[in-house]
This record gives sequence, structure tokens and C-alpha cells, in this order.
Amino acid sequence: MTELVSQALWSGILTGSSYALIALGLALIFGTMNVINLAHGELVLLAAYIAYTCESAFGFNPLFAIPAAIVIVCVATTLTYFLVNQIRKDRELNSLLLTYGIGVMLTNGMLLLWKADIRSTKSAWLQDAVVFGPFFSMRSEILFFVISLALIAGLWWWLTRTWAGRAVRAVASNRDAAKLMGIDPHRVELVSFLVAGLLAAFAGAAIFSVGVIQPGLGISLTVKAFIITVLAGMGSVPGVLVGALLLGLTESLTTTFFSSALQELAGMVLFLFVLFVLPNGLFGTRWRRAH
Amino acid sequence: MFAQRIGIYVALAIALYVLVPFAFAGNLYLMSMIIASLTIGGIALAWALLGNLGGLVSFGHAAFFGVGSYASALLVMKAGWPIGASLLAGGVCAALAAILMLPALRLRGPYFALAVLAYAHIFRIIATEWKGLTNGAGGIGNIPRFPVVFGYDFASKTGAYWIVLSLVLAFALIYWRIRDSHAGLALRAMHDSEDATRAVGVNSVLLKALMLFLSAFMTGVMGAFNAHYINFLEPDYAFSGLWTMLPIVAAIFGGYRTVLGPLIGAVVVYLADQLVFKALMPIGHQIVLGALLGTIILFAPEGMLSVFAKRPWRPDRTRVTTGLRDA
Amino acid sequence: MLELANIGVRFGGLQAIDDVSLSVAAGEIVGLVGPNGAGKTTMFNVISGTVRPQSGSLRFDGHDIAPLPAYTRARRGIGRTFQIPQPMHSLTVTENLTVAQRYGTGRVDARALAEILDLVQLTDHASRDAATELSLTELKALEMAKALATKPRILLLDEVLAGLEANGKRTFTQLLADIHRRYGLAILIIEHDIETISTLCPRVAVLNFGRLIADGTPDIVFSQPDVVASYTGMVAHA
Repeated sequence: MTELVSQALWSGILTGSSYALIALGLALIFGTMNVINLAHGELVLLAAYIAYTCESAFGFNPLFAIPAAIVIVCVATTLTYFLVNQIRKDRELNSLLLTYGIGVMLTNGMLLLWKADIRSTKSAWLQDAVVFGPFFSMRSEILFFVISLALIAGLWWWLTRTWAGRAVRAVASNRDAAKLMGIDPHRVELVSFLVAGLLAAFAGAAIFSVGVIQPGLGISLTVKAFIITVLAGMGSVPGVLVGALLLGLTESLTTTFFSSALQELAGMVLFLFVLFVLPNGLFGTRWRRAH
Repeated sequence: MFAQRIGIYVALAIALYVLVPFAFAGNLYLMSMIIASLTIGGIALAWALLGNLGGLVSFGHAAFFGVGSYASALLVMKAGWPIGASLLAGGVCAALAAILMLPALRLRGPYFALAVLAYAHIFRIIATEWKGLTNGAGGIGNIPRFPVVFGYDFASKTGAYWIVLSLVLAFALIYWRIRDSHAGLALRAMHDSEDATRAVGVNSVLLKALMLFLSAFMTGVMGAFNAHYINFLEPDYAFSGLWTMLPIVAAIFGGYRTVLGPLIGAVVVYLADQLVFKALMPIGHQIVLGALLGTIILFAPEGMLSVFAKRPWRPDRTRVTTGLRDA
Repeated sequence: MLELANIGVRFGGLQAIDDVSLSVAAGEIVGLVGPNGAGKTTMFNVISGTVRPQSGSLRFDGHDIAPLPAYTRARRGIGRTFQIPQPMHSLTVTENLTVAQRYGTGRVDARALAEILDLVQLTDHASRDAATELSLTELKALEMAKALATKPRILLLDEVLAGLEANGKRTFTQLLADIHRRYGLAILIIEHDIETISTLCPRVAVLNFGRLIADGTPDIVFSQPDVVASYTGMVAHA
């Protein structure tokens, strides 16, 4: 019994690390621009499909697809940023509708290019089981867990130690004050979109290597990332990490003790629970209420 | 002239109820498309009503559609209800489902929108897992069709068309009356000035909740209609994201600030999608819809109809100031 | 008619209102003065229902209104204006008043509405868009009109004279006197202009740092040393 639980906890941590990458990207964009990018999950999925193409068309290990994925996804996020910037009125809601539309375009685009079949990696190396103490996992899960940790640490360093990162935090916490200090919020917004794209590219490669993908996955990834930002409360990287972990654990525990069909439901219920019982998230400040 | 107005309405009614079936009844495929587009139109109207009057944007209207579908089908099949009553009951059940969403009303715009999406997912999964009630992923087949009334078979394409047309026009009428009533004014005022409205005695929370229930009811009735028209239901179909996406594109395209905009938008968008885009791109044709949504948000946020009409929407102000109507 | 007893309001670490008791009788005009940040608007928020006090009791017409939400209090007869005018957006002047009247009194009375418009001199602006087509004076007139449309028995006026020049102030002061004469309602008015307060209000209450430091006729109140000190920051020499 305890073995089951600890194995579930371990799997949950591994899954949570990929979720963290996706959620961090979404949180960055929301923090600097107050815009929820509903197409974010689609971008992650795009990266996953790029990894698939590299593997199936060129025989590369998905890891080597990451540079290409980064380039393509970052171009896509830059375009998204440019379009969102064109909105004049009611940006909070119109950007939701616009990114929703972009998401629909991306989903159908992927459907067009890659058809509706479920894809997953054929690399035996990635799918090999690896034993780490008492825990089983796929080599791909461990690999991307390590990569995620490295990226998160890198992001942390970037946000706290570099001028660019500090500018991002400044704009996120007080846009007007940041402007007064000479920070150009548009540059910062673009940077946050690019960093989000970078993280999404890695997350996409992870999702492809670890599990299965199909065009409908995009929206569920966006929803999961959104759930995590709600759990976290706004503006805290540690909050997003804890939230991602919590979601990963909830899902794997549900799969272990109930069924894998219910794991999405568990995530949703967790989301609603936090939304109503802890409206500020675990770490956030009071801003989610309408009044 | 009052008589002139009546004349226009009668002409429109004849065109819609008589001419359309007369012209197209032979083409079953086209009639199916028209019926489907009107179903989408009903949801689009309900969505726009919630947005305009309630000030709430939702990305999860599929939740209400699915609940209405299943409620109606199950009431008829397991509890022996007559279909007409079950349509209304489907709407009521969807409104009851909306009660579960009441706490979400306190949330800011995007959070409410996505909370509703979460509900849609939850209902879908419940429908899939609660096999005893809904037969799970296997779905429910042989859902009873519309009955024969006065010798006319309403399960035929024309019959179903008349039913959905009447439902949609009834909703449009309700929407229009509310919008031009005092409640409609108060609702509009609430969007930007909730404190000011409360200070003069408006129970803003109640009004918003009522709009949510109404929107859910209308969408639920559409779902119920669809269940008895298609005669088959399964969770992924009933709660499909398409029942959210298509109405949104329709409403934004047609102009979500007007009553008829969403309806006209639904017919145009859906027919274009099924008859034109699908023919050109059998897979992934809805990419055009996404592009359409994005384009309109950027260039004509008031919708295409407003571009053609070249006249910003203004309610009939004279009637309200003399207090002729109340709500 | 309106009785506040031992009201206490805290915002985090700040005691915004500290054990304040105040009553207003039917038809009485009372001025509420005090330096900025003394808690005057907070008092209004407590009375109208936007803010819940942590302690104290609130009675209107002998009934405990503390558990009642803001919109119910408005319907019972507590009307207020906001310091920064808050017209109902995207509605015309007439529509603003219609909503106020319909929801504040339960019915629409076109004649009463026309009377109010005439009183605040907005009849010519009746179909103007409230949020975008009115000047500051007109916006303030609309604030007043909206509150009047709810048939209040007490009117809470929050710095209606702020931002007006001498002429505007005189017009408004006259308007307030007219309203009092016409409708016989009680008025509780926050103002900084001591002259206006002294002319208009037979009774004045002074708040400083959330405490009530004086309550009486203007002559007496404004010669109290602590009142003078609260405004000038200086201690009066005996």
C-alpha cells in the first residue's frame, strides 16, 4: 500500500515538473500583460508535434527537436503578442476571445497537418524503465524532470539576478512605476511571451516523450496550466511550482486509487475547490475577486 | 406606422415558416444544416444575452447544452415524460446546474469564463462515468423522436425546423423584451458602475444570477431539442467544445450586442463552414472559424452586422423613459 | 431616525473609525467635517452598507440595519452620493434616474422624475449620455438627482461642493436648501468649506483620526481648540 502511494507520489512529482513549465509560461504572460493566453496549451502541443515530426520524418531523438521547436513556438508567440497588442478596447476580455480564436486555429492547423491519430514516441531509449531507489519511471520522465528543474532554476536565476528578469518582475508588480523607472513595458511583455515560448517548447517535447498526443490535447493543457495559476495565486514562481506539484500529485493519486479516467475530473474539482474556498490561491494577493 | 411594422413581421414569418421549407424541403442535407445552424443560433443568442446583460463571458456553454440533452432524453425514456415538457425540463435542469456556478459569479471576467469551462469538463466526465444513469461512453440511442401532432410528423426535417425556429424566435423575443426593460437598463449599468447601482437599490447579484439561469435555460432547451432530433447522445458529443466554440464565433461575427446578430451570424457561419470550408478542407476546416473570430475581434469587435448597418446599436430610449414597461 | 452607536471599523492595522456614536433626527441637517483621512467617507460607507463595522450598532427607524445589504438600505430610504461622481455608464441622464427610481422605490413615476430633473436643472440634458456628455457640475447634479429619485429619508452627501468655484458653490448650497424645504428629508453632509457648513447646517459633527471630537452648533464647535487644532495642526494658545 505504501509502495503504491509512494510510487504515485513519485510519478506525480515527475508529471508536475512538466506542468510547471507550462504554467510558468502562462503566469509570466499574465503577470506582465494581464492577458490569459488561451492558446498556450496549443503552443505546447505544437512543440510536441514538432518533436514527433523530427522523430518520424528524420529519425531524430525528440530531444534534438527542441531547438527547432523553440524557434517555431517563439515565432508563434511573437505573432500572438503582436495580435494581442492590436486590441484597443476591453483588453482583458477581448484578448480571451482573440487567443481563444488563435487556439482554435492552431488546433485545426495541427489537425490538418498531422491528422487526428494519437501519436507517441517510438524511441525505445526514452521508454526504457529506469529504477531510482524504490521508484519506477520511464527514462523520458526522469530526463525531462531533470531538464525541468534546470529550467526552473534558470528562470529563477534570470528573474532575480538579471536586469531583464528584474524588469519583468517590476512590470508585473507595478506597471506605472516601472514605466517611470524607464522600463519599456512593451519590451518586457514581448520578453515574457518569448520566455513562455521557450518553456512551452521544452514542455511540448516532454509531453511527447512521456505520453501520447492528439490535437484535442491543447485545450486541456491550457486548462491545467490555468488551474495551476489559480492554485498558486498570482505573481509567485514558488506558488506555481507548488500548484503544479499539487496537480500532478492529485492526478497520479487519483489514477492509482480510482481510475485514469477520473484524473482530469480530480484536477477540475481541485480547481473549483481552490477557487471557492481559497480565492487568493495559496500564495497570491487579493485580486481575483470582482469586488 | 404600426401597420407597416406588423406587415413586415408577417412577411418575415411567412418567409421563414413557409417559404424556406417550401424551397428546401427536398434537399434533406441542406435542411439538416439549417436546423443545426439554428440550434447553434439559439446557444449563440443565450451566450450573447449572458455577455450583454449579465456582463459575463463564458467558455463553457457546452455544459448547459449537455445537461439539457441528457435531462430531456432521460426524462422521456426513463420517467415517461412527454417530449414538449421534457424540452422545458431540460432547460430547467441546465438552470439548476447553473446554481452550482453561483459562487463563480464573484470572480473577475476571465476567471468566471474559465470556471464555467471547468464545469463543462466536469459534467462531461460525470456523464461518462455515471454509467447507471447515462450509460456512460456507450451513449444513449433511440431517443424518442418528436411526435405526430394533428397528423403532421414533427420528426420530419420540416417539422424539426419549425420547432427549432419557434424556440429560437421565442428566445429572441424574451431577450429583446428584457433588454428594453428597466431590468435591462439596470443590467447594463451594472457592468461599469456596480456600486452606483447598488446605492440606488439594485440587487446586482440577483440580476446577474437570473441572467445566468436564463442563459443556461435557453441553452439547455437547445440541447434537449437536439437530443430528440438526432436521437442519439454520448458524453463527448453532448458536451463537445464545438457547442461552445461555434456559438461564440457566431455571436461575435453577427454582432453580440444585438438580439438578432447571433442568430444571423450562426446561420451564416455554420452554413459557410459546412458547405464551403468543409468542401475545400475536409479536415481542419474550422481553422477558418478561428481566423474569423480573431479578425473580427481585432477589426470589428461589434460584429459584422454593425459594419453593414453602419449604425451603432441604441435601444429604443423613448419607451423606457415613459415607463411603459416593467420587468 | 438614524442612530449609530459605538461604531468601530478596522482596516488591517488601521482603526479607521473609533467608537463613534452619532444620531440624525428626521428632517435634520447635520454637517460632518474633519481633516482628510479622518474617516468621514468610511462613516458613509458604514451607513450605506458598503463597509461592515467590526463593532457597534446601526439603527434606522428603530430597526437594526446592520445585517442588511446596501441595496436594501437604499430601498429603505438611505440615499447617498459619491465623492467622485459615479454615473451609470452607457445610460442617459433620464435612464440613470429611471433605474434609481424603479429600484429605489419600486415603481416609476414620470412626473416625480421630471420634477427632480427640473430641480437640479438637468431637464435640458435629459437625453445626454451620462458618462461622456456632462460637465462636472452636471455630473454632480446627476449624483444628487439619482439619490433623490430613490425617495430617500436621509441623504448622505459626500463632498458635493468639491471642485466647484464660488458661483457653483452658491448654486449648490441653494439647491440643497431647496431640496430640504421641498422633501423634508434629513441631510448628512461631508464638506470642507466651513463657511458653507456653518450657513447650511444647524448642527456639525467633527471627526479626527476616526474619533468624534465635537458635536454641536457650528459656533460652538468651530471655536473648540481641539477642532481648530485638527484643521491647522497647531495648538491654540489660551
